[in-house]
Amino acid sequence: MYLRPMIGAACLVLAFTSAAAAQAIFNPKDWPEGKFGPGAKAWAAEREKLPPFTAPRTADGQPNLQGRWGGTWSGDDIELIPTFLDVTTPPWESWVSDPADGKLPYKDWARAERDAHREGLGREVWSKDPSKHLYYDPQAYCMKSVPRYSQRGYELVQTKDTVIMMLNWGHIYRVIPLDNRPRPASDVRLWIGTARGHFDGDTLVIETTNLNGKMWLDSAGNFIGPNAKVTERIRLVAPNMLDYSATVDDPEMFTRPFTLRAPQRRQRAADAKDPYAAESWEHACHEGNGEHEQQILHLGFKWYLPPTPPAK
Amino acid sequence: MGTTPGTRLTQPQRFRRVLPIVFLMACVAGVFVTSLAYAQAPANMPPYTPPKLASGQPDIQGIWQVLDTAAWDLQDHGASLGVPAGRGVVVGNEIPYKPEALAKKKENAAKHATLDPESKCYLSGVPRITFMPFPFQIVQQNDKVNILYEYNHTIRQIYMNGNPHPEGHIDWWMGDSRGRWEGNTLVVDSVDFGEETWFDRAGNYHSDELHVVERYTPISPYHMRYDVTIEDPKVFARPWNISATLYRRIDANVELLEYECYAYQLEDQFTRK
Repeated sequence: MYLRPMIGAACLVLAFTSAAAAQAIFNPKDWPEGKFGPGAKAWAAEREKLPPFTAPRTADGQPNLQGRWGGTWSGDDIELIPTFLDVTTPPWESWVSDPADGKLPYKDWARAERDAHREGLGREVWSKDPSKHLYYDPQAYCMKSVPRYSQRGYELVQTKDTVIMMLNWGHIYRVIPLDNRPRPASDVRLWIGTARGHFDGDTLVIETTNLNGKMWLDSAGNFIGPNAKVTERIRLVAPNMLDYSATVDDPEMFTRPFTLRAPQRRQRAADAKDPYAAESWEHACHEGNGEHEQQILHLGFKWYLPPTPPAK
Repeated sequence: MGTTPGTRLTQPQRFRRVLPIVFLMACVAGVFVTSLAYAQAPANMPPYTPPKLASGQPDIQGIWQVLDTAAWDLQDHGASLGVPAGRGVVVGNEIPYKPEALAKKKENAAKHATLDPESKCYLSGVPRITFMPFPFQIVQQNDKVNILYEYNHTIRQIYMNGNPHPEGHIDWWMGDSRGRWEGNTLVVDSVDFGEETWFDRAGNYHSDELHVVERYTPISPYHMRYDVTIEDPKVFARPWNISATLYRRIDANVELLEYECYAYQLEDQFTRK
C-alpha cells in the first residue's frame, strides 16, 4: 500500500538531482535534513536555466509533443508539506505555482471540508482519532480525473484533428478534439470530463469541463468541484521535457483561480537490451482490486461526493 | 441515347444496347467473386481501396461500433426480456466445443448473472470488447494501432514495431496484441490471455490457451469487415471463425464519452444501505 508513493518519491528524487548513484528505493533515513522535495518553485528555477526552444513540427504543422511522458508531481499532498510526516509524506515543496505561497486558495468553508477529508483519512499524522473514517482517496477505486491523471505520465499522440493521451495506469485515456466542437449539455458529468484543445503557438491548450467532482487532487483530501474549468498548458521546453500546467477556475470552492505546474520527462526509448522498454503493457487495476475495495468499505469509509457550497 | 422513348429497336441496335449490359454484369460478377475471395465484402459493395496515411498505411481511423447482438450471444438466438433476438456472427453458427467444455458453457449460461465477468465490470477480453454495444476509436501510429473503447475506458495497444509476443505465458485480460498489414487488412494476432474472460453473455468461454487472430478490412468509407479466428485446444476441437461488420459512427457530434462500469458499481455498493 505504501510502496507506490515511495517509489514515486524515489523517482522524483532521481529525476531532479542528477545523482546517478542515488538509491532506487526511498529510505526516509536518507532524506537530507531540512531538504524539501522539488515542486513548483524548483521547477521554475530549473526552467529559468533552459535555453530558448522551439518544438519541431508534425507533418500537419503542429508542435510535435508526441511521446511517452513521465509524470513527476507528487500524488500525496500538492500543497507544501512543511515537515516529515511519515514515509509516504516527506517534506515537500508545493506543486501550486500560483498563488506564490503554494497554498490552494480555498474559501473558508471549503478549506474546512478539505481538513475534514484529511482528518477522516484516519492517518495518525492528520487525525485526532484515527479510528474515525470519512472518505478514502477515490483514486483507490482505479479512477482518475483531470488534472490528477497527469501525475502518472502518459503517451501523447497527435492526429490532424485530435490529441490522444493514454495512461498506462488503469488504461485511462483522453481524446481531445482540436475542432472546438460543441460540448455535451452541462448536466453530462464525466470522471474525465470533456476536453477541447487548440494550439497557441508552441503551447497545447486544453480546456476541460463537465467534470463530476468525484476525484481528489491528491491523496491528502485536496479537491476541486464539479463545476471547475481546468485549463492545461503543455509545451515542449527541451527535446525531452514538457512544461505542464493546469489552472483551475472554480469560483464555487476557491477565492481565485490557482495553477499547478510540473515538468514531464520523456521516458526511455527501446534499445537492443530491452526492445520492449517503450511498450505500455496492461495495467488492469480494478480486476485485482476487489479485496482492497472491500477493506475500504468495511473500515467504514463513505463514497466521496463533492461538497455543496453553503447557501448565501 | 439518341432514340425516342417507345421507338422499337432493330436487331443490331438491340445487340449494341445489350452488349454493355452483359459486360457490366460480367464485371459485377467478377467483382462479386473477387471480393468474396479477398475481403468477403457483401455482394452489393463495390471494391474499395481505403485512403492512405502519410506512413503508407491504410487509414482506418475513426469511431466504430457493431450493430449486431453478439454481446448477448455470438450464435443465433431468440429474444427474451432485455435480450434482442439476433442472427449470430459465428461462421456456420457452430462453436466446436469439446464435450466436457460444452457442459461448462451450459453451466455458464445458466448462472451467467453471477458468473459472467461482465457482472463484476472486468475488462472484457478479445473479441468480446469489440461486440460490446459501445463505440470505440482507432488511432494509428507508425508502429502501433491503438484502439480506445468507451466501455470501461479500455485501451488496446497493438504493436507493429517488429517485436514478437514477449516470452510468456502472461495472464492479461486483453492479451498481448501484435499487428501487421496484409494489403488493406489489419491483422492482429493476440495471445497471453487469462482464463477469466468470456466471449458473450451466453457463457461462451475460453482457456488461457486462447489465440485470437482478428482481421479488420475496410470495405467502404463507412464499413469494415471484422473476421476473427479463435483457437483454443483446451476448449475447442478445432479453430472456428467469426465474421461481423463494424460501422463508422458519422453522427455530427460523435465522440467517445465514458462508461465507467466499476465506478458505478462501487458507488452503488458504498451508498446502498
